[in-house]
Amino acid sequence: MAAAQAAQLPRRIIKETQRLLSEPAPGISASPSEENLRYFNVMILGPSASPYEGGAFKLELFLPEDYPMAPPKVRFLTKIYHPNVDKLGRICLDILKDKWSPALQIRTVLLSIQALMSAPNPDDPLAENVAKHWKDNEQEAIATAKEWTRLYATM
Amino acid sequence: MAGIQVPRNFRLLEELEKGEKGIGDGTVSYGMDDSDDMLMRNWTGTIIGPANSVHDGRIYTLKLFCDLSYPERPPQVRFHSRINMNCVLNDGRIDVGRFPTLGNWRREYTMETVLTELRREMVSPANKKLPQPPENTNF
Repeated sequence: MAAAQAAQLPRRIIKETQRLLSEPAPGISASPSEENLRYFNVMILGPSASPYEGGAFKLELFLPEDYPMAPPKVRFLTKIYHPNVDKLGRICLDILKDKWSPALQIRTVLLSIQALMSAPNPDDPLAENVAKHWKDNEQEAIATAKEWTRLYATM
Repeated sequence: MAGIQVPRNFRLLEELEKGEKGIGDGTVSYGMDDSDDMLMRNWTGTIIGPANSVHDGRIYTLKLFCDLSYPERPPQVRFHSRINMNCVLNDGRIDVGRFPTLGNWRREYTMETVLTELRREMVSPANKKLPQPPENTNF
């Protein structure tokens, strides 16, 4: 069944998948699910010197029918305390919305999410209360993010 | 284009966003119960009873449960508001044998489909004149 599915898969997606598997970006793994080759299980390690360091964060990524004209859909499955991620794991990132370009790839999207973990942006919040916490008391917010990393993102 | 299937979670996120924007004229609506549940399982739906039936103007609340097999399998649906309808059991659950949207479920159906079709059932000859329990009472 996977072979039949692969036959229908656009060459671009096949190429991207092969490269993700053969040359994974540091701290990032992404592999397609067996039942749906447009649906990826993703793991991003918390970047060093970020509140997420030491954590392993699961995400899911789906390439919609009009990919690469439309961006991939991505969300966190692991709970994360971050001003640009809401309670359902949805991510506020410009390249996932109006700044998407078909020149970008799954790899660039995941690297951007990893960068967002290193540099939370409370001025463009998705989780209002977390962003407020970040602006009012950054040290305490970072402590909460570290605690959540320990609670939810470590095996 | 057969074979491109939106996986469960992204499908439910699409439904959530559509529900938040509001559907059509608002005669059916739905939303998620627990905004902390990353699996998006519990939902509340609302149907405004259609004109030309005993249900005219009544507001019915329903509970929908989307387990991990959704949308391969239908959601579990029950009326919270009391209603007398031939496809609704004594405890508010839907008799799937009498409601083909659930009985002959297809992956492309959504919670909106379920609510819209239930609303359509309310004006069917079998249902539109059935005596009803008092308004605003619950199962």
